[in-house]
Amino acid sequence: MWTAFLVLLSRCRAVFFGGRLDRDLDDELQAHLAMLTEDNIRRGLAPDEAARQAHLRLGGVAQIEEHHRDARGLPLLETTMQDVRYALRTFRKNRAYTAVAIATLAIGIGAGTTVYTLASAVLLRPLPYGEPGALVRIFETNPLKHWTRNIASPANYADWKAQATSFTDIAAYEQFNSVGSGTADVFLTGFGEPQALKSLGVTGNLFHVLGAQPLLGRTFTDEETFEGKARVVVLSYGVWQGAFAGDPAVVGRTINLSGRTTTIVGVMPRDFFFPGRDVQIWVPVAYSPNIFVRSRRPHWLGVVARRKAGVSLAQAQQEMDRIARDLERRYPDTNTQMGVRLENFHSSLAFEPRPALLMLSGAVGVLFLIVCANLASLQLGRAAVRTRELAIRRALGAGRGRLVRQLLTESLVLSVAGGAMGFALVAAARIVLLRFAGTVVPFFADLRLDRSVLAIDAVLSLAAPLLFGVLPALASSAADGVSERTATSSRDTSWTRSALVAAEVALSIVLVVGAVLLVRSLLRLQGVDPGFNPEHVVAFTVSLPPARYPGPEDRLRAFDAIEQQLRQQPGVQAVGASSTIALRGYTWTGDSTVEGRAATDYERELRHNSITPDYFRAMGIRLLAGRHLDERDRIGQPPVTIVNEALARRYFRGQDAVGRRITFGRPQDNTPWITIVGVVANEKQDGMDKEAQPAAYQSIRQAMQPSMTFAVRSTLEPDAAIAAARPRVWAVDKDLALTSVTTLDAVVDESLGDQRFRTVLLSAFAGVALFLAALGIYGVLAYFVSQRSRELGIRLALGAHPSTLFRLVVGQGLRPVVVGAVCGVAAALALTSLAQSLLFGIAAIDPPTYAVAILVLGASATCACALPARRAMRVDPIVALREE
Amino acid sequence: MGDKSDVLQGTLDLMVLQTLDAMGPLHGYGLARRIEQISEDVLQLNQGTIYASLLRLQQRRWISAAWGTSDNNRKAKFYAITKSGRRQLAAETDNWVRIAGVMGRMLRLPAED
Repeated sequence: MWTAFLVLLSRCRAVFFGGRLDRDLDDELQAHLAMLTEDNIRRGLAPDEAARQAHLRLGGVAQIEEHHRDARGLPLLETTMQDVRYALRTFRKNRAYTAVAIATLAIGIGAGTTVYTLASAVLLRPLPYGEPGALVRIFETNPLKHWTRNIASPANYADWKAQATSFTDIAAYEQFNSVGSGTADVFLTGFGEPQALKSLGVTGNLFHVLGAQPLLGRTFTDEETFEGKARVVVLSYGVWQGAFAGDPAVVGRTINLSGRTTTIVGVMPRDFFFPGRDVQIWVPVAYSPNIFVRSRRPHWLGVVARRKAGVSLAQAQQEMDRIARDLERRYPDTNTQMGVRLENFHSSLAFEPRPALLMLSGAVGVLFLIVCANLASLQLGRAAVRTRELAIRRALGAGRGRLVRQLLTESLVLSVAGGAMGFALVAAARIVLLRFAGTVVPFFADLRLDRSVLAIDAVLSLAAPLLFGVLPALASSAADGVSERTATSSRDTSWTRSALVAAEVALSIVLVVGAVLLVRSLLRLQGVDPGFNPEHVVAFTVSLPPARYPGPEDRLRAFDAIEQQLRQQPGVQAVGASSTIALRGYTWTGDSTVEGRAATDYERELRHNSITPDYFRAMGIRLLAGRHLDERDRIGQPPVTIVNEALARRYFRGQDAVGRRITFGRPQDNTPWITIVGVVANEKQDGMDKEAQPAAYQSIRQAMQPSMTFAVRSTLEPDAAIAAARPRVWAVDKDLALTSVTTLDAVVDESLGDQRFRTVLLSAFAGVALFLAALGIYGVLAYFVSQRSRELGIRLALGAHPSTLFRLVVGQGLRPVVVGAVCGVAAALALTSLAQSLLFGIAAIDPPTYAVAILVLGASATCACALPARRAMRVDPIVALREE
Repeated sequence: MGDKSDVLQGTLDLMVLQTLDAMGPLHGYGLARRIEQISEDVLQLNQGTIYASLLRLQQRRWISAAWGTSDNNRKAKFYAITKSGRRQLAAETDNWVRIAGVMGRMLRLPAED
């Protein structure tokens, strides 16, 4: 053992002193020869003969030295280093080839690593909670209301918590719709300028369910769930570091949050977030216990539970199904067909981005294969040029294994360089992604360049040479000696290269089809009429603190005054406000019945909006029938409403809805009847790709809300319009804050963000793929022309027209393209139907898309063929014939 | 078998150790000459193989090497046995004698017929 170690040590040392040891040994052997020769002379031999005999006795100096080198150092390492040095020297001589190869690899590896970074941040990296795998998200489902993953009602949540035995505990947090988060803006005052903080209301047990320990202080207690307790808050690490400068004595301090004195009880660690990184502080929901008993109709709670050890998700689901059926029996009024859906918590967070991420992962895998195919083809082309060099090496005694190793080392050197550049690309891509990724990178994901990203980069760098290097290495090392350096091997090689080109074309077609499908979806989406005119409209939300604006009259006075102020601004054309703004924020939905309908035929998901009379004018929403609301529609007057086209279509099918009556309740509820006075065009609510749902608008004079979003249409630039609006609001009340400040253009733009992001990314992949495929075609043809320039020259000399040669070469080039295109179309048909959920307005099997894809590919292939073909036409017969 | 006896690798190592132990530091040529003389030219070394043996022994730290000057004023590398080399020599000598004894008995066995 010890001896083996000593030998290894000595071998390692020898690696570093190779040159000196070589000289040493050489000196030693020369001395040996000299002494042997002298002895021979002394024995009476002639000097020449003496030297000859000495050489015979000693044996070949070169062989001794060779053996010595092998036994002395680490031959595997040393020859590898030697190969690396040789590779670098070769690359220096072929700068263009090397640059193309490294750039190609950098794109392949960089794209792969970037998509991995995305996928790992969203799908793989464990959430920062104790045993996150045991956390379960609980949704409510209801086929009557088309709910598949809905938020829960407080009373149902309370019953689950009381009855379920599958969980150690169940917690809830405010979430006002199934898409957006339930954060509220609160204002921290007393620390310089008032600061808006995103706050989330949670039940007292939430942190315990998550298994999350605070960095400082404590989290909440179960009792703090309910109203009447002292106001407390837990800070995120970011707020603690920012607003409180990392004050170690922050726990116990009292602060002013939106006018209420609140005590800081804890600070969470840096890595902690819940449920997204946008949440800055957590406060108890502070509900009256009544809410958990009575509030079974409205839904606004996100629910998260921790499975007990040994209880599977399926078992928990079974128990919850049982409880849901029990609740349905006990509360038919609210819980008819109300079911429960359990999801792993992490999966529930990643639900939205998952399809796009899987699509991108698949696409980047395809791109990686194309990169490898392209390099394999490049390598084969170069190997053909190097046949001579390899044959000489072979003749000098290099075994085939040794040649393969040398060629693979070259591939590896290329790939490592590509991987390093690829990593730089990832770092750059990360910055771009963070800006443009939309919800594909959801709030909880943190795009970190951590060790696993580096590892993937390395794995791809090592995997690439196996994919692109082995085949060419085997093929070119097979050429045995100079005699075989003729037709057969080069024909094999060009056959292989054609096959690679066909594969590249096929894979590119898949990506191009995918990209064209997404581009067409995006164009359709951009062409969708949002129902309002977003140009030159800025929007912002004003919330009136209940402490200072307790009654509807106080609020009405304030909102009226704000509207008046905003109208006086020069350049302003219209000002209006709504409790909900299109494509953003939440909305209350509820039951609604049209007069004269059967008891079971009522709307279960009507959207309520409270508006000021000028809202439709400010938004540019067309009035289709009836009249606008006005000042006279107030409390004490008959209640009236304006409905959207979707509602009119669904319940009045072409008949005039104006004058008919609806009520915001079920037929048996005895809620007051409200007269429809107008019908407006649909405005998009949840997204440009979603159908507008039935909605009703009432005046704030008849249905007040504490928080309104103002829309200001003006001739000013957005920045100027917003800057002008702030002092006008402050003129009414200097303590009011403008939140969610934006332009409607930006709102529409953001709602297309996801679609645009994946479209841009996939199009970029497809573009690169096309370019690489064209490069592959070009490479094969250029080689074909250079190999056959003699033949082409003879044909020309015998009178062939140059255009015949052009057709010959182009035909040769397009053959693998056609084969590849056929295979590619078949693969695309099979694969893109998987992506149907990412498309809008077109089917995955869309003939125009395929036509465009084939056309684009055909055009690039023809361009790639034309260059070598032109060269073929210009072959000078004399030069060609003299060449060999 | 030819008339020159082939030398087993391990055997040559043992010969080198023994020679260095007996004669003190020697250079490669001196060692080769010495081994040939002692074997009374039964062993005709391909003298180059001595260097493979010297490398093996050096790697195991059983001998050490240093440049010096030969009798006829020529720069040459001299090898000397080390302490651990002597221990190895003793162990290998015992081993060799035992095996040689066994081999001797084996080869003297009368054929059974």
